[in-house]
Amino acid sequence: MTSSPSSARIGDVLVRVDGLVRTYGSTRAVRGASFDVQAGEIHALCGHNGAGKSTVVKMLSGQESPDAGTIHLAGRLVDLGSRQAAQRGGVALVDQELSVVPALTVMENLMLGDPQVGWLDRRRTAARRFRPVLDDLGLGHLRLDQPLTDLGIGERQLVEIARALGQQARLVILDEPTATLSDVESAHVYSAVRKVAASGCSVLFVSHRLGEVLELCDTVTVMRDGDVVATTSTADLTVESLIVQMLGELPERPDRRLDQDTESEVLARIDGLSVPGRVDGMSMTLHAGRVHAVAGQLGSGASEVLRALAGLEPGASGSAVVDGCPVHLGHPSGAARAGIAFASNDRKSEGLFLDKPIAWNLLATRLGHLTRLGVIRGGRWSSSLARLVALCGLDPKRSGHSVGSLSGGNQQKVFVGRSLGRDDVRVLLLDDPTRGVDVGGRAAIHALLRDAADSGMAVLFASTELEELLDLADVVTTMHQGKVVGRHAGRTSGALLLREMTHGSAADEPSAPAEQPPGRAEKREVHA
Amino acid sequence: MRLSSLTRPESLVPLVALGTTVVAFALLPAYTDSGIASFDVYNTFQIFARLGLVALALGLTMIAGEFDLSVVGTYALGGMLAVQAGQDSWATGVLVAVGAGAAIGLVQGLVIAGLKIPSMPVTLATYIALLGLTSSLSDGLSKTYSNASVTLWVDQTVLTFFSPRSLITLGLFGVAALVLGVSRWGRELRAIGGDRRASRVAGVRVDRLVVGTFVASGVLSALGGALLSFSLGSANPDPGVQPLILAAAAALLGGVSLAGGRGTPIGLLGGMLAVALLAEVVTVAALPAYVTQLFYAALLVVIVVIDAPDLRNGLVRARTRLRPPAPTAPSTRNDTGALHA
Repeated sequence: MTSSPSSARIGDVLVRVDGLVRTYGSTRAVRGASFDVQAGEIHALCGHNGAGKSTVVKMLSGQESPDAGTIHLAGRLVDLGSRQAAQRGGVALVDQELSVVPALTVMENLMLGDPQVGWLDRRRTAARRFRPVLDDLGLGHLRLDQPLTDLGIGERQLVEIARALGQQARLVILDEPTATLSDVESAHVYSAVRKVAASGCSVLFVSHRLGEVLELCDTVTVMRDGDVVATTSTADLTVESLIVQMLGELPERPDRRLDQDTESEVLARIDGLSVPGRVDGMSMTLHAGRVHAVAGQLGSGASEVLRALAGLEPGASGSAVVDGCPVHLGHPSGAARAGIAFASNDRKSEGLFLDKPIAWNLLATRLGHLTRLGVIRGGRWSSSLARLVALCGLDPKRSGHSVGSLSGGNQQKVFVGRSLGRDDVRVLLLDDPTRGVDVGGRAAIHALLRDAADSGMAVLFASTELEELLDLADVVTTMHQGKVVGRHAGRTSGALLLREMTHGSAADEPSAPAEQPPGRAEKREVHA
Repeated sequence: MRLSSLTRPESLVPLVALGTTVVAFALLPAYTDSGIASFDVYNTFQIFARLGLVALALGLTMIAGEFDLSVVGTYALGGMLAVQAGQDSWATGVLVAVGAGAAIGLVQGLVIAGLKIPSMPVTLATYIALLGLTSSLSDGLSKTYSNASVTLWVDQTVLTFFSPRSLITLGLFGVAALVLGVSRWGRELRAIGGDRRASRVAGVRVDRLVVGTFVASGVLSALGGALLSFSLGSANPDPGVQPLILAAAAALLGGVSLAGGRGTPIGLLGGMLAVALLAEVVTVAALPAYVTQLFYAALLVVIVVIDAPDLRNGLVRARTRLRPPAPTAPSTRNDTGALHA
């Protein structure tokens, strides 16, 4: 085993974090974190947003220096003053944010910053090292000279994971590596991570997905308010006990609603919606007062259905009617005029003005109501703001702070809140509404969406997460490879949804007749 | 090289730019009464040499996501220093000019990387300061270079089409292409231009690279200025803004993106040759000077169109609209899925 990342034997303590402290201004982000990671161990780091786990990751990966405390790697005290120092010390990182460069090719991204790559580009050597990792991650079909812009978000994330796993490091830190991945892609990541750990490397795995934490990891360190609450073997944990450790109490689940009897009004009809190569003739109806979901893995077309309705897919065809008015597909402004509001899954680049105050972000879409002759009316501004801030459950004192200073969950609240309480919004579309949001924030956002539906809107969200689909949606439409597989109203089983999302339905074979006129689609729809 | 890689902007843009101008050049006899002489090719390379290094310098900083406005200031200062320090020995003149260029680049790079401020204001200030400095060195007057043998040497004809000056310029493009092609710098330069945060996280020494890029930019610009002064036999304290505009046009025609992260030295070479060819075409055809500017503008419009994402979306949209809905479109497959209530 000459390529073994370290000489440490499995079971030895490889990483020892002792009393780490980090303060930003007046906020003590980390108050004294201590834990050990053994060689060959997959160690989870869990916690509510703002618990300090990202700061710990930053200190371990050389992006921040601790104010106090020590880090030992393989028994030696190390000073990880920079990313390069950390990498030389054998720490590889998959950052919380996607950190690959679209301007480069797959191979160039894999080699980027790799301490083993010298000044001369020895691409063939590097290719030999990375190719097996890519294969393990299910990226065997990628050409190494493909530009990253050809890849979807999920594949890009996998490339970043391949970069970290291929560095033959002592410690691999994965900070929410699966947040943007489908279940199939996540499964590839788990097996690749297990393989790396089996070679004697330590893995620090940060995740909000408690199910995967319990399944994948050996040990869990839970942080709360900058302190380490406990380090427990996963064998002794359940999802509930983990949540208790994280939150200190069990969060309330939103009321599951089974309104099968209430006849609600059809607010929008979508007929034969197609996006070339992505969505193939999708039809559905949206009802006022209900929360609808399109469930599908990455690449199933679920996300593209939403983007097409929001006017963001220029090649979209088909028809969509909201409240009797046809929607001009292919133009975001057309969608907005029809009363469609869209919250992208990429709130950082397609949603929020991160460096602008919370108030500006919340009110940006309703300036028409707040202005006279282009001048903002202070009274209306502050009353609307107060109402929205209360509605979203944000701290009114912070409404002048920039959105970038909020945690992921609160950012998402601002994003959703922007579309609430407006009489011109009839249909609210959300792509992966709780991406990168912790358990508590998720419940709050679910409650917000439920309120939006109760106020008479039709809510449609896309998600890959079973728990969210089962918790939040009244009607779930599953999609696979661009086509609708099934529709489920009321209570349904997670196993069925998962099967339809990953494999399509048994009846959905290519031999089925496909010559029906589009108008027939609605007649079959039963409102259970 | 795969065919698909030729359709990417960093290759397609310089290919189109160079192709268009080469055709215009080759067709010269068709619309003028003069044929193409080997002198015209030589002259094209002379125009290329005049601005090539400035375009390369600017282009490199643009690939890294920066914009070095000071290149023309360094170009003027380099020319002036080479004349003043190199009256006896051209080598001393070149060394002084290049040393000054490196120092300017170093200071600018340290300020920009260290304080994390945008390069535009910093380099604009440097540009103005350097013009002032250059003028003060010569009391605002042109300075004559009396070493005539050097002047004759740099512009003598080599291999029919070239001069030592144009060969040096071409050679430096080649060196840049080689260095960026086989070392990690090429990848990292585009990486920091494309996404600086991601590059930092990946472990790229972003700050060092920014400083290095500005040093290279200063050295190249100063050397370009020195060569020009030797060629003209005098140094001009104020080259005006024309060189900057043409260098920026050459960089854009060379497939470099204003947003950073895209471009290669070979692309820059193509863009710069396109600019030079166009200038030569206008000269040979004896067109008024303003026509050159119109041509550059037209060429840039073509490039912008090739490169515009919104325009492409618009075309896709128009095509979708115009195409009649296919009667066999599988538009109703969806509702065969069962409803599990």
